[in-house]
Order: sequence, then structure tokens, then C-alpha cells
Amino acid sequence: MRACLKSFATVAIGALVGAVALVGPAQAQKQGGTLVYVVQPEPPTLASYLSTSGPIGQVATKVYEGLLEYDFDLNPQPGLAESWEISEDGKTITFTLHEGITFHDGTPLTSADVQFSIMEVLREVHPRGPNTFKEVEAVETPDALTAVFKLTNPAPYLIRALSGYESPILPKHLFEGTDLRNNPTANKPIGTGPYKFVEWEKGQYIRLDRNEDYWKEGLPYLDRLVARFIPDASTRTAAMEKGEVHFAAYGAIPNVDVVRIKELPDIEITTEGYSMINPLALIELDTTQPPFDKKEVRQAVSYAIDRNFVIDNIWFGFGKPATGAISSNFAPAGFYSDDVRRYDGEDRIERANKLLDEAGFPRKDDGKRFEIKHDIIPYGEEWRRLGEYIKQALGDVGIGVELRYEDVPTWLKRIYTNYDFALNSNFFYQLPDPTLGMHRQYLTEQIRQGTVFVNSSRYSNPKIDDLMAIAATEPNPDKRSAVYTEIQQILAEDLPVIPLFEMEFIVVYNSKFKDLVTSPLGVYASFDRAWLDE
Amino acid sequence: MSLARQRIRYVARRLLQAIPIVLAIVVVNFILLQFAEGDAADVLAGEAGSATPEYLAQLRAKFGLDQPVYIQLLVYIKNILMLDLGYSFRHDLPVFDLIVNRLGPTLILMITTILLAVGVGVLLGLLAATGLNTWRDNLISVFALVSYATPLFWVGLMLIVVFSIRLGWFPTSGMETIGAFYEGWDRVLNIAHHLVLPAITLSLFYLALYTRLMRASMLEQAGMDYVVTARAKGVGERTIVFRHILRNALLPVVTMAGVQIGSLIGGSVIVESVFGWPGLGLLAFDALFARDLNLLLGIFFLSACLVVAVNLVVDIIYSFLDPRIEVA
Repeated sequence: MRACLKSFATVAIGALVGAVALVGPAQAQKQGGTLVYVVQPEPPTLASYLSTSGPIGQVATKVYEGLLEYDFDLNPQPGLAESWEISEDGKTITFTLHEGITFHDGTPLTSADVQFSIMEVLREVHPRGPNTFKEVEAVETPDALTAVFKLTNPAPYLIRALSGYESPILPKHLFEGTDLRNNPTANKPIGTGPYKFVEWEKGQYIRLDRNEDYWKEGLPYLDRLVARFIPDASTRTAAMEKGEVHFAAYGAIPNVDVVRIKELPDIEITTEGYSMINPLALIELDTTQPPFDKKEVRQAVSYAIDRNFVIDNIWFGFGKPATGAISSNFAPAGFYSDDVRRYDGEDRIERANKLLDEAGFPRKDDGKRFEIKHDIIPYGEEWRRLGEYIKQALGDVGIGVELRYEDVPTWLKRIYTNYDFALNSNFFYQLPDPTLGMHRQYLTEQIRQGTVFVNSSRYSNPKIDDLMAIAATEPNPDKRSAVYTEIQQILAEDLPVIPLFEMEFIVVYNSKFKDLVTSPLGVYASFDRAWLDE
Repeated sequence: MSLARQRIRYVARRLLQAIPIVLAIVVVNFILLQFAEGDAADVLAGEAGSATPEYLAQLRAKFGLDQPVYIQLLVYIKNILMLDLGYSFRHDLPVFDLIVNRLGPTLILMITTILLAVGVGVLLGLLAATGLNTWRDNLISVFALVSYATPLFWVGLMLIVVFSIRLGWFPTSGMETIGAFYEGWDRVLNIAHHLVLPAITLSLFYLALYTRLMRASMLEQAGMDYVVTARAKGVGERTIVFRHILRNALLPVVTMAGVQIGSLIGGSVIVESVFGWPGLGLLAFDALFARDLNLLLGIFFLSACLVVAVNLVVDIIYSFLDPRIEVA
């Protein structure tokens, strides 16, 4: 990946061998079998080009594919595009499509579909598309198998945003001239993927059957996928225990149950398959109002929280303390740095108290310095436990905390439209590149009232704005890495957002199924190589 | 005027009266839902994890949320009058299709539950009342109390633990075996197999109600003058209980069942959730948290219609059970 961005015009030719060969002949894969996996909650539609909502992606990625796939170090691998070439100036990317790919309705995939999907669909109606493809001026189609991305400025992050989850390639003939937000395929997708959509019994399951004409020779191994919806967490665990379902990701089986059922002989777990998502648990602070307009107060809060305690006791050991604004999963790509101000020292409580004293908030007679409300992200029980812990931890340094827990729409409105909060727990997906997932929380131009999951702390620092602008367009990986180190140092000092820990979601699966998690996309990959060993 | 014609006129008048009532319910529901913070666009964008302001504006325009509230209300009423329940933008499907899809499973679960609860409840109430203050009465009363006081979700989960995981007699959840795709009678049996645990869970709660109601009602009737008269005439105890007391004691039970059938369409969020039963309760619950107002109003509208209809039917049943009650 980094090599192909170096100064010479370099060519990254993807392996032409089939994906089967990549797996290696360690075990003989068998044909057949039905995999039942839990998707929680039930997706509203399967229009992954309109929404990046998790449950949609968990199903739609079996039907729609992207130009590229990725290995565990986030290096691009051949997908629909069997090879790609990035020009010397980083402003032209040429993709060559694999020959003989057809959509499930029999229509061949051509570069026109790629052009249409990127320019007319993803750039227009995808939630993240306008940012991801901001620099894409045009997609040229010199022949049926060649698609050339013409960029206004280099966009080094773009090459990691072309998976079937992030940027699905759609059949142009079914979308052209229709209302994209009202297309019949929203509920019955037609793509190029290893599984074909068959039926959706709302409230129960979605059935996908093997695509007999799949372009990867001999794949997929499974005959059928069934995505099941079980609203109650304990019942999901029971169904997994009993073998009625075989796979669950993204906290569908709560951590408290994972600890118990992972001991069962036929249940296995892994925390792999989330490194293109990179969820980071954090606290957003209102930096425009006292008391959190003072960075010393924000730093004191960060000192007061014992991240290891949170991970061990609330998330049952699944997670890794965050040292800064960028996930350590980006270390292989060179973006992560721990050379920043740290908040995990032995003397952290004394430091917190000292900072608060100096910031002009001495303890009053009742031992309290000031009181705040803590809004809790309404995404599950763990976050309430975290809120209770924060109340206690901040209480220890003299900050009185009242907890507030509301339903999702009310909470979203409060944090991102009304800005009526002081301290809010949250988690952000950092996605496959900091430019895509992390800039939005810090840039001045991302203070956008009414837009969710952006800069609600309303932090504005021209220096950060400039550095991030460089990071977004710098094609040289070493220079880019240096810029990110500086960004992390400044943010660790200013702390408009307090990073808590890198979340580790868990995949729980039945051990008779093999090769389910084969890429950093995890459940957002296509399951094309999954097989049943019975 | 014959009794039959009188009944038809009565039904027609009640139905006509129902129209303004249902419309009023629609308007009140609509206004109430406006008080909820946040809208469907916020939720969709929230689920997406990120969104641009243009995206949100486009969503709102598509959902009609950019119109003033009174316009939205007028449009909705106009559609309702034409029996058009509207479109769920969240699901990208007509509201009517979504509801009809869930109506079957809801009815299967709720009708089984009501029949089971009323049937067994009446029987237990009868047994308790006829063996007043014996071990039988005490046992039944304690059973009723415990099953009424136990949280539904706990009962459900315990049944799953015992009968699904430990004994393996029943599936943990769902309405059908996924991936089997049965047809005909096999399918019916398969659904029945899945129905057992949720129906028992939900029945236990209602059953307690009916048992206690039936027992109290029986005891009340047993002290009435007509029972003393019958006994004085020398009518046998068995005949007194079954011909006289039982028939009168059933009236409050029918009232109660009527009220509960009204809530039938609402389903049971808890049981549907625990057993993954694809009912309307869960659909409404999800619609609320997603601020899918068209869908929610559609479910409310159907519930209102059903309640009105059931009340009418119950009133007519009264007149059969007790000829002294006239429909007029």
C-alpha cells in the first residue's frame, strides 16, 4: 500500500489467482450448508448506498461488492477490480475490472456501472460519499473494463474506502433515471456478490442463496445464508448456545454472556474483523461553556478516569486504553503515535485535583467544586454502567455528576442540534483512515448544527484545521505520518474530546463453520470463503 | 320492529358514531407524537454514523418533514379518509404492507393466548369457587398470584432455559424453523411448535386475571337471591352452578376479554421481543424509537378501529348472554 504511493509511478497488480488459492490448501473446504447469523437490530432496508447503518451493511455486503478487498494490515486486495494503478502525482487512479462478472440478473458488470455508482449514487446520496469522493472530479471509462478516477487533489485515504461495505458497486441499468431514494432494490438488492437475495420476512429473517454464477471460481462454499432478527439479547445468547444461530457480531451477544458461553465446546470468539471500523469510545465536552471551556478542566476529567477499570469491569476485558485521538490499529499504516501527553500515570488523581484548583474551581464546604449533567449515549446497558462509573470517578475529584439517559432521537437532537449538554459519552468509528473517520470530530468546518456525529464539542483551532487539510491530501506516507503525530500531540493537550478506549467488538460463532472472519471488514465482508465442516 | 332489524340499525348507528371518534384519535395521536424530540431523519442519520447537512435536508424534504405541522396533519387526514395509510420511508414500503405482514403472527399469538387464558382461567376460577377455602382453592389462588406477579420477560427466559436449552423440547425463538421452508401441514405444525412457549408465557399473565375474576364473580353470584330460590325449589347443586351461577358469572369475564381483545392488535412487546415473534407490538415499538410516524400512526389507527369494533361485538354478545340487556 505505502509502496504504491511512493514517488515513482508504481503499479500494484493484484493477484490474478483465484481467492481460493489465497486461503491455501490447509483444509479441504466443503460445499454446502446454511449459515444462520444474527443481525441486530433488523435493518430498515438493504440500501447500503443510502445508509451506512451497521445492520444494513451486515446483509448487503453479501450481495453488493466493492472495487477492492483488504488484508488485515488494511492493504488493498483485488475485488471487482483485479488491478489498479496510482499515478505519480496521486491524481489519477486506474482500475481494471475482472473479466466476466455479471449481476444477479445476468447483466455484465462494466466500467459504466462503476462510473455511475461513484459519481451518480455514492457521491450524491451516500451519507459519507460526498466526503469520501470529494476530490473525484470524474470517472472516465475508456473501455468496458477500465475505470479511471480523476482527482482534483491527491486523496491518499480513498484507496481504503472502496470495500463493498463502504462503496458498493451497483447495476446502473436498475438505477438510472429512477429516484435513488425510492428504488425497488432497497428491499431486494441485485448485485454481483456471492449470495443472491431471495426473500425478506420482516421481523424474522432475510434469506440469501448461493450465486451459482459467481465470478470467483468455486465460491461461495455455503448454499445459503439466513440473517435472523431476535430482539432480546438473552434469547440471542440462548439461540447461539443451542446452535440455532451460528454467528453474531457487533455486541449482538452481550459481553456478559460471551464470557460464559465462550467456554462451551462448540462456541468460539474473536475480536478480529473490526479494524476497518475502529470504534473509539470517548467523551465529548462542550468547549464553549464553563466549566469545560477551560482545557485544564477537560484534562482533569481525563486524569480522573481509570480506563483499565472501565474496560475490565464494564466491558469484561474487551478493549484497549486509548492514548490519543487516533486508534492504535493505525500503527501499521503509520498514523498512530503514543508520543503525546498521557493521562494514565500513578499520580493522575492528584494531577486532576491540582488542575481543578488552579482552574479556579476550589472545593466548597460540601467537598464539591461544581456540578454537571452527564448525558449517556443510549446504545445499551454498558454505557449506563460507564455513566455510573464516571459519576463516581468525577465525584472523587469533586465534580458532582447527574446522569441523564434519553432515547436515541432525543439524545441526537440534544447533542447535535440543541448543543444542550456538558459532558456526553459516545463512540466514533474512525473507519479505515483517520481522514474519513476522525477529522469530522475536530475540524472547524465540521461544526454543523443538525448534523449528527460531527464536531459537537465545537472545538475550533486553525492550526488543527491546517494540519488536517495537509493530512487529507499529502500523498507521501512519511510526511502524512509526521502531520498526524503533530495533530495527536495538539489534541492530547487541548482535549476537546477525551478518548477513553479502543472498543473491541466480539464475533461469536459456532466452531463447525470455518473462515468466517477473513478480512478486517469482519461481518461486513462477503462470507464468500466461509464453509461448514461437518 | 323485529329484534333483528333493531340490531342492524343499532350496529349501523354505532359504526357511524365511530368515524368521528377514530378521526379524533388520529388527530390526538398525531399531535402527541409531535412532542417527541428528534425526527426520522435524525435517526436514519444517527444509524448511518455520519451524514452531511445536505443529506439531512434531502431526507426531511423526502419525508415531508420540511412542511409546517398543520399541513402535515391535513395531508395525513386526507390520506386516512381515502384509506391510504401512507408510506414508511424508513422501510421503503407502504405502511399497509408492513402492518398486514405482521398481522398474521400477531393474531396467531394473541388469539391462542386469549383462548388459553380465558378457557383455563374460567376453569380454575370455577374450581376455586366451588371448593372455597379448601386446599384446591388455596393452591389455585397462590398460583394465580405468583403468575400475575412474575415479570413476563423472566418467565419467558426461564421457559427458554428449561424447555429449550436443557430439555431441548422447543426452539428458543422465531415463528418457524429458518432454513427449513416447510409447506402445508408441516408448516402449521412447525409454527405450533414455535408457538407453545410464547403463548404459555403470555397466557400465564392473563390467566391469573381471569382466574381471580371468575372466582370473585362466582362467589358474588352464589350469594344472590335467585340461587337461594333455586336451592329452595330443590334444584341440584350441579345444576345451580352450571345453569344459573356460571352463566351470570361469565358476564364480567366477557367484558374483560373484550377489553383485552382490543389490545390484541398491539401485541406484546415483551413476549415478542424475548421470543423473536414477528408481531405488531415490536413493530410499533421500533417505529416509536425510529420516529417512523407514518407507521406508528397507521398501527394506532388500526388499533383504534379494532377497539371500536370489538366493543360493538361485546355489546351484542351481552344481549345474547343476558336477554335483559337490550340493544337500542
